[in-house]
Amino acid sequence: MKIFVTGIGIVTAIGLDAEENLNSLGSLTTGISRSNSSGLMLGEVKLSNEELMNKFQLPAEDYSRTSLLGLLAATEAWANNKIDKIIRTGIISSTSVGGMDRTEKYYFDARKNGIANSSLMTHCNGRTTERIAARLGISGYIGTVSTACSSGANAIMQGARLMEGNKLDRVIAGGSEPLADFDIKGFSSLGIYDNAICKPFDDNRMGLNLGEGAAFLVLENEYSISISNNKPICMLAGWGNATDAFHQTASSPDGKGAALAMTNAMVKSGITVDKIDYVNAHGTGTGNNDLSESMAFKSVFGNNLPAFSSTKGFTGHTLAAAGAIEAVYCVQAIQKQTVLPNLNFTTPMKETGMKPATGFQRANIEFVLSNSFGFGGNCTSLIFQKA
Amino acid sequence: MYISAASTISHHPTFRNKGFSSQLRELDPASELIRPDYSDYIPAMERRRMSDVQKMSIACSLDCMQQAGIGQPDAIIVGTSMGCCVNIRSFLDKILSANGGPLSPTSFIVSTHNTVAGQIALLLKNHGYNMTHTQNSLSFEQALMDAMLGIKEGFQHVLVGGADEEEQSLYNMRAKLNIEQLHPVSGASFFILSGDHGGSEGVNLLDAGSYGLIDSITDCTEHFLLSGGQSAKDIGLVLYAVNDKKGMAELNSIFRREQLFDYQIVAGTSFTNSAFAMHYGIDMLLDGSNPGLREHKKILICNNVIPENLGLILLAA
Repeated sequence: MKIFVTGIGIVTAIGLDAEENLNSLGSLTTGISRSNSSGLMLGEVKLSNEELMNKFQLPAEDYSRTSLLGLLAATEAWANNKIDKIIRTGIISSTSVGGMDRTEKYYFDARKNGIANSSLMTHCNGRTTERIAARLGISGYIGTVSTACSSGANAIMQGARLMEGNKLDRVIAGGSEPLADFDIKGFSSLGIYDNAICKPFDDNRMGLNLGEGAAFLVLENEYSISISNNKPICMLAGWGNATDAFHQTASSPDGKGAALAMTNAMVKSGITVDKIDYVNAHGTGTGNNDLSESMAFKSVFGNNLPAFSSTKGFTGHTLAAAGAIEAVYCVQAIQKQTVLPNLNFTTPMKETGMKPATGFQRANIEFVLSNSFGFGGNCTSLIFQKA
Repeated sequence: MYISAASTISHHPTFRNKGFSSQLRELDPASELIRPDYSDYIPAMERRRMSDVQKMSIACSLDCMQQAGIGQPDAIIVGTSMGCCVNIRSFLDKILSANGGPLSPTSFIVSTHNTVAGQIALLLKNHGYNMTHTQNSLSFEQALMDAMLGIKEGFQHVLVGGADEEEQSLYNMRAKLNIEQLHPVSGASFFILSGDHGGSEGVNLLDAGSYGLIDSITDCTEHFLLSGGQSAKDIGLVLYAVNDKKGMAELNSIFRREQLFDYQIVAGTSFTNSAFAMHYGIDMLLDGSNPGLREHKKILICNNVIPENLGLILLAA
């Protein structure tokens, strides 16, 4: 069964839509800068909650930034699609902490002032997805997956599997993540936060920067396309999920889970390793992830490693949204027939000697692989194919 | 598809207690979670740092594995509405008390919703498919649909469960559902879904469905039953949870009064209480003493805990 990508929508620190993101990737412009409030390097989306509320003319209810960023990306991806009873349509989003940006505010207020606030329910992950579904007019399968930093990729995989399992004909799938104090403090407490812009796959990498954003893809089967008349941008050829089962947060030294996810995705796509033209790595910039992922590359690709890069130096690590944001970048790599650049790379890791792509280089791109890994050892790989 | 094992920890004596369905009464509002001796399942060092949702889920999972006699499941799939909310609250408290100073990451690293599924995999050294669904009151149904897809894709055994722990300070369920008469509970129910029978007595899982932001329970339920070649009169018992008048009126128009049984009276309210209802239904089907199941050995679980959401699960002996 063929699964077509017919729409993309994205908002990150390097752009408020797909075109702006692509332009920033092409001009090697990072979106990470020092935050006035926390003093940390963050990939902030340059739109306030008020601006987002006004854009969608939302009532003065509590909308978490998770919902607002998600709405912006989802409405771009959805474009002029219409809800139609004969196309079974679902939405699958993903978030790591739901409306944490609101939850923490209310909780801190409640603790300081002793006021209970029923709005604490914005924390619910599913609620953020319902807000987006309601805006697009989707009812029926409204789902949310949450597997930490692989969530976005898993939402896309779930969408595809529900289509293959004949439950749905069309899915809008992706993820959304706001910058919350909870995550900033959490990753800082782990001692893996780079005080400068992150340097994925560099021997002198110091850690990650957090970012925020959202991205969605519209996936359709042949039947859906025959009615919607949408033009395929590319195809989702395969997917794979596996567990590292090594440690709650750290990746194994040999990258077992990552290697399994990549291999499973290639088996599902029915292709051999030599067919992959570009890999968008998870590449967070932490010592542990980048070495583990490199070892996984070695075990999967041997000495024939395709062009690879991490785009985290542009956006920061957007946690649950990362898999969806990078899926959009992979679609754009196919659209523009280009390899995407890895920022701030100078020195190869002494353990592997691997060099990521550092320029926006034109290339023949037929198959692209995207990696996303999360806490709990959750590893997911997606493969996109030129239509 | 067969359910080859089931295990529940709840406010009732459900854990490792086959035939519990005939003994259970209305939930006592003052009741607490009945915690088994976790030392049989989780090493002491790890146990001390775990919250209820983690401990319940691991004990139920290991109990299921033992019942089904399998070494490794091909997939681990969890549905949880609020995930590790006790750990989340704990880290929020630490942020407040640290007041900008250094913080321990202990509760942060176990705060993600997939902590439960990840820890089960870690304990089993399982490298298979691992997923966590978190769609408020439909989290368990979506996990179950995922498990069914997995079996269709070729998995032999899938460990699938629903779990939530009560945490009132982050999420006020009474306010959300706008009802006073409601007993929030903690609980976990896990199952092994298998592609073939394997000779053991088991219950069939015929179908599961998840419907969000719906207008009509009737349309969804009739369509769900029809697509599986069933009709309302073929169902022996409907285990339902409905929290508004409109929903109840609709159920009364689809089913006869004697088919209907309010599982929330027994289970209490949590957003994954349909997982409890599934084990309750399985136990009833295996026990066979409920008069409603004499003619038609089929149970429909109708989860309308949140009025605009509907989860449906169809079981058969």
